[in-house]
Amino acid sequence: MSKYLLWLLLILLVLFRQISTRPVYNDGDRVRITTRVSSEPVRYEYSQRLSQEGLIIYLPKYPEITYGDTIIIEGVVDLPAGRQGELKNPVLIEKDESVSLLYRLRSRLLKVYQENLSGEHAALVSGVTLGSKGDISTEFWDKLKVTGTAHVVVASGFNVALVANFLINALIIFFPRRKAVFLAISGIWFYSILSGFDAPIVRAAIMGTIAFSAVALGRLSYAWRGLFLSVFLMLIVRPDWFSDLGFILSFVATASLMLFERRIYKRVGFLPKIVREDFSTSLAAQIGVAPILFVSFGQFNLLSPIINALILWTIAPMTIIGMVGGIIGLFIPFFGRLILFVTYPLTSWFITIVQLFGQS
Amino acid sequence: MTTGWRYILGLLTLVAATMWLAVLYFPDKRLHLIACDVGQGDAILVVYGNTQILVDGGPNNSVLECLERFMPFWDREIELVVLTHPQTDHFTGLIEVFRRYKVEKILANSIDSGSSAYQVLKTEIEGNRASVINPEKGMVISVGLMQLDILHPTEQYILSSVEGPRDNKQQNVLGAYTTKRDPNVFSIVAILSLGEFDALLTGDIGPEISDEIAEQLVVRLPLTIEYIKIPHHGSKNGISNNLLDASHPEIAVISAGRNNRYGHPHQEVIKLLRDKEIKIMRTDEMGDVEIITDGSEWWLPEDK
Repeated sequence: MSKYLLWLLLILLVLFRQISTRPVYNDGDRVRITTRVSSEPVRYEYSQRLSQEGLIIYLPKYPEITYGDTIIIEGVVDLPAGRQGELKNPVLIEKDESVSLLYRLRSRLLKVYQENLSGEHAALVSGVTLGSKGDISTEFWDKLKVTGTAHVVVASGFNVALVANFLINALIIFFPRRKAVFLAISGIWFYSILSGFDAPIVRAAIMGTIAFSAVALGRLSYAWRGLFLSVFLMLIVRPDWFSDLGFILSFVATASLMLFERRIYKRVGFLPKIVREDFSTSLAAQIGVAPILFVSFGQFNLLSPIINALILWTIAPMTIIGMVGGIIGLFIPFFGRLILFVTYPLTSWFITIVQLFGQS
Repeated sequence: MTTGWRYILGLLTLVAATMWLAVLYFPDKRLHLIACDVGQGDAILVVYGNTQILVDGGPNNSVLECLERFMPFWDREIELVVLTHPQTDHFTGLIEVFRRYKVEKILANSIDSGSSAYQVLKTEIEGNRASVINPEKGMVISVGLMQLDILHPTEQYILSSVEGPRDNKQQNVLGAYTTKRDPNVFSIVAILSLGEFDALLTGDIGPEISDEIAEQLVVRLPLTIEYIKIPHHGSKNGISNNLLDASHPEIAVISAGRNNRYGHPHQEVIKLLRDKEIKIMRTDEMGDVEIITDGSEWWLPEDK
């Protein structure tokens, strides 16, 4: 009984937060919002889009606002029925760049990629290492969506899993088990703040934390329990994520991975070994995600698991070389550049495949 | 084979692949003159070996794609950027260019722009530590084997139409003066040459300045112009008959956006060029317009 009580309590708390955090403004109100930008704004050709305090805000492209900045904005609230509210005629009153070390580190790293890699290649490396999609051109972004590969360049659980694996494997060599796990968990959270603290990243970080601590405490980890626990925790802290597409997709993709991946893997023994795992992973995720994508974007791609199988192998080396090259580039630009150049064959392959299948 | 060795082998393969790609993209020894397809705006890229000149940056970041297409991935330096005049359809793309590439020199007028994006650009140029040159008629700038002859504007021309203190004349800075006049009239006009090949780059000049350039060209005979960038995206408020007669180019390139709201290029301009049997190439119809020259002849990439 007490087992269920905890879950019941969590659900009640989620509901309470949903109701209590309803916005206090009304349609047509003129408001001044002071807020810290909680995720990377989306950049378009002539504008940038922020989503703050439950409102969508379109601002001119310059001056650019980045994740972590504190901004003051004035505008008129527009709450159309059935859609997310928007702040109309927004005026940027003030922008204070974040002085926090972590945010600065993020923007310095992004700058290293931009200075050393050309356009789309830099955007891709920024995307896989730090989940920054601000650099990706609209054209390429559309192709990523058409091919069903956008998940690898936005902040996703995949990045966190990669970092978590890398950390634990490296740390276990130098530290006793418990300490290694503790350090790896700190590393995961450090990374999730660094990479923009988007919903999918946070979900993966919480799940990773639960799984890792279960290992450290010598207890069995139940993936499903971890998944639901992370969902509830996230909704308690950030009730507005309830309608965040990234959050929903991340949750559904993980659930459908856990349901179908092993089963598919067993049935695709005819595929070559290098792509078998990637293929079954993407197909499993697609089963849950495709209907949602179809409803929200009007598209999904039957070839998507195949395209994913063709490109997913590049992501791990791209992320690791990108991270190492980026960090070294902060201190010794010349060596950083040489290391980053090595990602060029990988990014070229990725871009070529996406361009090839993304023609519409 | 242990996992460790497999990683090392993988890494070595990658390094080898990178080196092969680097060699594959090694530039040839010809001059490539590209009017980048940046929509309604101007961005003209000149590539000669490892040396690049970029004239204007277009209204958005499409210029980056153009740089990516025509520069080898390992070259992260642009030798010279020219900003003909501070209007958004000519400079906006330069912001990202200065963020991403090391730029040696920037050639631009001292006229300021009220736009907040221009202030961002100035900050980026400062951060890039590119040296600023305010050009003046008569100046000759050499970049590798290429040469840039400045035909417009003169210093007096700028000083006579700007506001602000000018007793302690500031040199080689951006945005020293403000003006109430249309920035187009201050457009930097220059002849880019390599050997016998000459291209006339005209910014957004109007008929009045066009005529003045025509007068200058007549005096400079036996100079022959092969290539002209039609000023002001083919607006009728741009090229003048006199300028075409004085330069009689073989090819005219127009940089304009597809279905742009200004109706550029105007029919009169097209007709004028057709009547003179000048080959017309338009970025709104063909995307990037590239021509190649060895310093004596020029041709289109599909010709050879």
